[in-house]
Amino acid sequence: MEGTTLRLVQHHVTAGEFGSATLYRAGTLTVSEADARRALASPALASTRVSWASPGDSARIVKVLDVVQPRTKGVGGRGIFPGILGAATPQGRGETHVLQGVAVVAAGYLPRAQEAVIDMSGPGQPLSPFGATHNLVVEFTPADGASWEAVDAAVRVGVLRLAALLAEAALDARPNEVQTLRGAPFPKASNLPRIGAITNLQTQGTFKDVFVHGKSFGAAPPTLFDPNEVHDGAVVSGQFGHPALKNPTYMHQTHPVVAELRRRDGRDLEFAGLILAPEPVEAEQKERVALQAAELCVAAGFDGAVVTKEGGGNADADISLKIDALADRGIGAVGLFAEMAGAEGTAPSLVVPPERGTALISTGNYDEVVRLPAVERALGGATVDVAGAAATADLELPTAVIYCSLSPLGAGYLTCREVA
Amino acid sequence: MSRVVHYVNQFFAGLGGENAASTPPGVKPGAVGPGKKLQELLGAGHEIVATVYCGDDLAAVSPEALATVLDLVAQQRPDIVVAGPASTSGRYGVACARVAAGAVRAGVPAIASMHPDNPGLDDAGAAIVVASGASVREMGASLERLAAAARKRLAGEALTEADGRIGKVPRKNVLVDRNAAGRGVDLLLARVGGRDAPAEVPVPKFDHVTPAPPVADLSKAVIALVTESGLVPVGNPDRLESARATRWLRYPIAGKPTAPAGEYASVHGGYSTVWANQDPNRLLPLDVARELEREGAIGTLHGEYLVTTGNGTTVPNARRFGVEWAAELRRAGISAAILTAT
Repeated sequence: MEGTTLRLVQHHVTAGEFGSATLYRAGTLTVSEADARRALASPALASTRVSWASPGDSARIVKVLDVVQPRTKGVGGRGIFPGILGAATPQGRGETHVLQGVAVVAAGYLPRAQEAVIDMSGPGQPLSPFGATHNLVVEFTPADGASWEAVDAAVRVGVLRLAALLAEAALDARPNEVQTLRGAPFPKASNLPRIGAITNLQTQGTFKDVFVHGKSFGAAPPTLFDPNEVHDGAVVSGQFGHPALKNPTYMHQTHPVVAELRRRDGRDLEFAGLILAPEPVEAEQKERVALQAAELCVAAGFDGAVVTKEGGGNADADISLKIDALADRGIGAVGLFAEMAGAEGTAPSLVVPPERGTALISTGNYDEVVRLPAVERALGGATVDVAGAAATADLELPTAVIYCSLSPLGAGYLTCREVA
Repeated sequence: MSRVVHYVNQFFAGLGGENAASTPPGVKPGAVGPGKKLQELLGAGHEIVATVYCGDDLAAVSPEALATVLDLVAQQRPDIVVAGPASTSGRYGVACARVAAGAVRAGVPAIASMHPDNPGLDDAGAAIVVASGASVREMGASLERLAAAARKRLAGEALTEADGRIGKVPRKNVLVDRNAAGRGVDLLLARVGGRDAPAEVPVPKFDHVTPAPPVADLSKAVIALVTESGLVPVGNPDRLESARATRWLRYPIAGKPTAPAGEYASVHGGYSTVWANQDPNRLLPLDVARELEREGAIGTLHGEYLVTTGNGTTVPNARRFGVEWAAELRRAGISAAILTAT
């Protein structure tokens, strides 16, 4: 059976600046503010502003919503972010241009969003994966009379459009690297253990939702999904709870677990595929989804699965139930968990632990307090709401507030250790 | 010369037993009671500069008394605080644990000594606890262990089970050189291959709560509404947290027939509150509770509801809310509570 392939054409960005035209040259991404405004324009938004925040800057981004990596399949997008920018048709084949080292960051007030902070320098910088990227920060002012739902949708679409436009600047540039990625299917080809990924998406209603091909994945059953599709933006985040524990669009595009399984495919494992699963709110539905996901793993011939989540305590159950359901079907599983061990690190780490599995990875303790020294400028808002302080102030915040610091998809380098 | 401050209760401070359990916080210069033996065991180079004491009744329940104790301790500019041994004495153990935890929060190393069964063990926060014997008959051995632990801690060495360390060892965030996805695949391959590789998170064991027996006659019962849904009056006047709540609140509902939209809203950050805010009775079932009250199916509804946000709440805080709610509802003569969860 001949599978499809996707060529990821990678261009490295080492500096960002503004200029009269949008250009990519010798690692520098120049952005025309007028082009950016056009990409972001919507009847739901009175105005938009873009600013750069780069690693080492004395800058803080607050009220971070989504983060997107610039990618396009050609002029006008050509199918990137299917179901939102392009038609809702399967992607994940052909060629996709990627700007590495740069991110489009939406930041501003939405009513249900929890405060989320990225520091570009100081002790907070290494805690967020986006302390290391050149960030084009998008701020916005809602139009009079626009509903928050319309503002949310406008920001989401605008940021995706801008991300595609930026990548377009590199279409003719010589790439730094080209990766050819195998797509589905993934038939058994060796005696190596067949390992797949189960990626739970926090689909819990407006402002806490994840879109697949442009539609909420909330009512969908667990689905065997071509991983090449996620690289083309088939999964887009609209989930603004638990900033440390969220998976922005960027993390789906670059999917750290899939990247790790691909890296080792044919060496010490065989990549067996990707399953997307919703995270429902009702306990019974969580159980149903766990059982269905386990059956899919059996059908796809998984020997083991890396199970990940998005969100806080109740989402622990979505991993734990799957680990248990997989154990019942004789399939090994590891879960990536963030710990909620209290500020002093002495409380129980998990809300809902598995009953039949102990292979648990820690992405760090949500409650540990970090001190962020004052910065010169802030983007995204004038205050840090959880701290009741100015956005540029010296802050003491739980790690929970630092954007993607406990990346449930495994992008981060934090873990927890007992300190005797 | 390192400065050691010793915390003891009223009994070991020589002020009396149960009759003196309300003794307010105080300080005596140098070593007192078991502190004299402790000083001997600590040896030259370490001096118990003061003994801070408080009556067990006050120390275990009064935040003000605890704050005073911690002030008295801080005034001595200690290099280390040692508390106990408390053996199996519950209030004394709780006090020792809280004094040690408070010292650590203030940046001073601290060690509490108590028996592993002492309920104070859970209150020690990030402080070190070493095991003592079950009773004062084992005081000598308990003091030897405490002195050895204090010397080791002052030398900057880590304390382990071999030193008699008991209780929770704090878990701290550290940055490592492989991302969680990579470490996860390593662990999975080891387990799938039948190799025993260590996990990174200890699996917690939770206790099981036996539900109270059913209410015999609901038509005479006083029912309280309690919720972790984050439902508060619009504007969140008391600033209830949207996540990681550290407290709970109460709001009057006496005489209110329903919880109307626009008057209440949820601040909970853990679920989409759109539907709940359209009809807050979905979180606080006041409308149907009033119907049941009118029909006589229940006696009366309690005049206020209790609320917190159950979102990323630590287990110790959640347990504390439970204890405080139970005490509060019993005091108010409530026979049963409806606890709505989200």
